[in-house]
Amino acid sequence: MRAIWLIAKATFHEAWRRRFLNGILVFGILIIGSSWTFTYLQPGAELKMLIDTGLGAIRFFGMLIAIFLGVRLIPDELEKQTIHTLLAKPVTRAQFMLGKFFGGVATVFANVALMGITFFIVYTIKASQFQKIAAEAEEGATYTMIFMSANIAKAIGLAFFELTVLVGIAVLASILFSWILGAIFSFFIYFVGQMADFLRELSSPEHGADPVSSIIFGVLYRILPHFEIFDIREKILMDDLVPWSLLGNITAQAIIYIVVILMIGYLVFNEREV
Amino acid sequence: MRASRRHKAVIVGTIILLIVGSIPLRDHIRYQRLVLGVRRPMPLTKIVDFDPTAITGVMVGAILGGFRELGAAMLWVKVHTLWNEGKGTWLKCLSLMRAVTLLDPHWIDPWRLTAWHLAYNLYVETDDAEQQAILLDKGISALKEGISWNPEESTLYIELGWTYFDKLDDYDNAAKWFRSCLQFEHPGYVDRLIAHAYERLPDIPKALDWYDYCLKRNPSDSIAKGAILTIRERYLDAWRLMEAGDYQAALATLQRHIDVDPEDTIAIHFRAHIYEEAGDLDAALEAWQMAVENFSLDDLARRKVAELSVALGKPVAPVPTHILRQRHPEQMAPVRRPPTP
Repeated sequence: MRAIWLIAKATFHEAWRRRFLNGILVFGILIIGSSWTFTYLQPGAELKMLIDTGLGAIRFFGMLIAIFLGVRLIPDELEKQTIHTLLAKPVTRAQFMLGKFFGGVATVFANVALMGITFFIVYTIKASQFQKIAAEAEEGATYTMIFMSANIAKAIGLAFFELTVLVGIAVLASILFSWILGAIFSFFIYFVGQMADFLRELSSPEHGADPVSSIIFGVLYRILPHFEIFDIREKILMDDLVPWSLLGNITAQAIIYIVVILMIGYLVFNEREV
Repeated sequence: MRASRRHKAVIVGTIILLIVGSIPLRDHIRYQRLVLGVRRPMPLTKIVDFDPTAITGVMVGAILGGFRELGAAMLWVKVHTLWNEGKGTWLKCLSLMRAVTLLDPHWIDPWRLTAWHLAYNLYVETDDAEQQAILLDKGISALKEGISWNPEESTLYIELGWTYFDKLDDYDNAAKWFRSCLQFEHPGYVDRLIAHAYERLPDIPKALDWYDYCLKRNPSDSIAKGAILTIRERYLDAWRLMEAGDYQAALATLQRHIDVDPEDTIAIHFRAHIYEEAGDLDAALEAWQMAVENFSLDDLARRKVAELSVALGKPVAPVPTHILRQRHPEQMAPVRRPPTP
């Protein structure tokens, strides 16, 4: 455990020295902060824009950070040959990989937390104005904001779990391929995972799928991570309570994805010549 | 330290077990999300319905995957920027608005504003009747497409009803679409709009029923109160006489009011309607023609003139295409042939 902790800590510190990751973070924070300026839109649209931009930016820039960080974690050690020094010590490949993964996850957590706090500051300031407008609306406001703050916090939490799965995929991809190919592979898996429902429909014979494509799409639907389950934006805008049971199930699913990805990563990394 | 073959087999077995074992959990999450309305699905059939000229927007949306809404929000900011630049950018605005509706079809405002932009702003930018008809068609189609994506949202039904009411004077369709939104949460004024559409049609009993309904919902609704008094005072007697088949008395009663207020559109429409009910289509045509002469923008009267002229085999005066285009054949005037002597 100590070995994993030390590698994770070193990875975390090293990640903050990567300028391009800091650049992505700064850009993300700027975009979230700029959602402040949508004051010229009508209140309903402004609230929607604020939430879409804030949560969208956290997920989008978080995705970039997760992929570009994840695909460099192990290849960098291989290129610099520092991995030999590490593995010569009593550190197993599994510990090395887990340390790198958890270091990456901690970095992603810090990034999501920073963007999330920025978003919450903007939201809290604007929320009072929206509530005032809603209270003064003649025919009743077209929106309510009873569960919104809690739902936003839940959405940010889910975004973190989504990105954790993505870090795992990026690490696995970087073990399987070069880091550039790994990044392309990770983007591909992420985008296809966002459209898992389409795969389900494409595999359905009701939509004219022949037996072969039905099997292919069906298997892909079952194997690929379903990234769209982490998106609860619609529920936030409708201001309905997002139940903890749903969050628990999604989190459990994310943990299963991570365990499977890490196990595959372990199998591949174990066979790889370094 | 490399893993043994047995060790690997255990790991592979665990991976398979986890993937297969998590299928019920995935299905349960999918079911929960559907039941709770966490995210409305985009069915494949709807994708096939997309406007092919706007397919780039769809492709971008698909590629963006989970960031469709973020893309839509960014484009919407661009729409506002262009809008503020002035009329020269209106067509650019239109394509961006359309892209936003494709990227985030569950966002109501872009549907509403796209339709309004087509049926109102761009409509008045051209004098070509055919172009105007196309723009109105497109505006109405945009609203109907928006409704197909968001059938439980009252806003788009109201907008569609209003477009029929205001732009086409098609009170049949207006009342139909206003009524469609009643099953959902809706602003109180919609009930009055239905009553008003029936009043303009004219269908006096239905108009009274709906104003009565407005008063029951809100006893302090002064507009409904005033409308009920006006209808009872001006049109109700004539309507009852017409229903009793005493058309001459109905016309005489109505005429007394028209003499006092010759610009009362409802009364003028009502007079033509009485002639239609009486089967005197020539007189009805003449009455509708008078309405057109009085109010050149009275599209209901212009439509009636065209329909009656066709029914009577008379030459049809040039009429803007949009007036007839939005009607289904079964919605055309219920023309009764004159009774055989």
